[in-house]
Amino acid sequence: MRANIWRTPTLFIAILLLLPLILTNYGVKLTSEVLIMAIFVMSLGLIIGFAGLVSLGHAAFFGLGAYVVALLGTHLDNTYVLIIAAAVISGIVAFVSGLLFIRSSGAYFLMITLAFGQMLFAIFYKMESVTGGADGMAVSASLNLGFGAIESRVGFYYLVTIAFLVSYYLLRVFISSPLGKGVRGIKENESRMTALGYNIRHYKLIVYSLSGMLAGFAGALYAYFNQYVSPDLLHWMFSGQALIMVIVGGVGTLVGPAIGAGFFVILQSYISSYTDRWPMIMGVIFVAIVLYGRGGILQIAMLLWNKLRPKRHKEEETPILPKEGNGFESVKG
Amino acid sequence: MSLLKVEHLSKSFKGLQVLRDVSLEVREGERHVIIGPNGAGKTTLFNCMTGTLPINEGKVVVNGQQISGLPAYTAVRMGMSRTFQKNNLFGELSVEENIHLAVTACKPYRFHFLKPASKYAEMLAETQELLAQWGLWERRSRIVSELSYGEQRLLEVILALASKPNILLLDEPTSGMSPAETVQTTMLIQSMPRSITLLVIEHDMEVVFSIADRITVLHHGEVFLSGSPDEISGDARVKEIYFGGGTLKHA
Repeated sequence: MRANIWRTPTLFIAILLLLPLILTNYGVKLTSEVLIMAIFVMSLGLIIGFAGLVSLGHAAFFGLGAYVVALLGTHLDNTYVLIIAAAVISGIVAFVSGLLFIRSSGAYFLMITLAFGQMLFAIFYKMESVTGGADGMAVSASLNLGFGAIESRVGFYYLVTIAFLVSYYLLRVFISSPLGKGVRGIKENESRMTALGYNIRHYKLIVYSLSGMLAGFAGALYAYFNQYVSPDLLHWMFSGQALIMVIVGGVGTLVGPAIGAGFFVILQSYISSYTDRWPMIMGVIFVAIVLYGRGGILQIAMLLWNKLRPKRHKEEETPILPKEGNGFESVKG
Repeated sequence: MSLLKVEHLSKSFKGLQVLRDVSLEVREGERHVIIGPNGAGKTTLFNCMTGTLPINEGKVVVNGQQISGLPAYTAVRMGMSRTFQKNNLFGELSVEENIHLAVTACKPYRFHFLKPASKYAEMLAETQELLAQWGLWERRSRIVSELSYGEQRLLEVILALASKPNILLLDEPTSGMSPAETVQTTMLIQSMPRSITLLVIEHDMEVVFSIADRITVLHHGEVFLSGSPDEISGDARVKEIYFGGGTLKHA
């Protein structure tokens, strides 16, 4: 049993580390983008799938993180300071806005986060003198972790890989921690949690702030990756895309959103190289996924795996969707 | 001395007076049962006492501290815990996880997020103790929605007990149970240590008279009568309320 638990992550890490050897330069770049998106989408998946807070303004924190690197980067060059500042500022903004938003839930929460995201978008869009307005701005800070500037695509890839793995690991610990379990309980049954003595607002606020912080961290990485930021990063369209990635990947799990991000980014780049009408084709694919696999790609993959895998033991039922909801059980097969 | 005091509590919903000048005293260790026909305001009284519903007038004092006006989650911190008339559990989680949540609720580590919950030995031990004590050990990894109704009803009580309350409010603990389950639950309630003061809403008269030290009759949102089981059973007017009105469901 123990070997089983370790096999999958080890294999996955090995693949991630060896990938640059077989990929083209473009492939490495695309995978880096996937991993950054995966961090961002996991942060959104955390509040949607575990806290039941469906936000349509999460890109605001991603964009904010990216702009912190772009704007502060013109004054100082320390990568650590910039990335930590991006995460902390995004986290603080999430905390302060959360103080107001957390009181609402469901469609109201969705609308208020949408409005907040658009408000931040408008600020960055209008402040042309500082942010360059609609034209965006170049990121001048160089990526340097203390052992020389990281300029190669492969170097950056490894940095993002480590960032992704660490984020994933921390999220996994989070959802299994007392706080994470409490958050899950609140999604299940708020009135019972209150009766048990939990202050549910504190829990929602903490998870929302942490999620905003992680989104800001992903945004900071994206700023280094893209060398350019624009207000589009804060726009609700981008929030909507992230929401689609969560749903398509699998709500209520951790790996689901990451898979959704990979699927979305790769599919987008692949289809858009053939036709300008790529959004239409992707729309059809997403509708099909959501219609035929309510648990998203993760569930479809599990169904296929259960059908196709070699039948070594006759009756060894694997649950299709993880009951625990951390998504990890479902991939170990 | 009285551990729990309700003083002149009134509650109305948009002009409809549900509770009127309700006063109640529960002594330490007492088994106090509230009876009354449907719609008498019994569950509303619980909701008002625990802060789930705001009250219009009056106050509630627990262990000498005023609790009315405070948010609902503070009730447990003050040692008062409750169950619900309709099962109110975490249906998608396992029995064990339900109890984990209940045990963790007031622990200082409830906000920790850098270590898996499964590493907190104290929480695991308390959960194990509750599971063993209440005979759910075998069923610990079952998903709650798959449990039988009676087992869910039992879990309802266990979750309230997990915080080690000194006042426990039970809202119709035997509602919907089979006769056998009712007998079992009555015995469980009787076997609870006197360190836990009980305030129970109950319809089944057999259960009421086998657990009560003191009974309060609630009628039309008012305290109609409060007294010992003998006083209540000998009172003609109480019989009139119950049997004349015919709203008592007899299990």
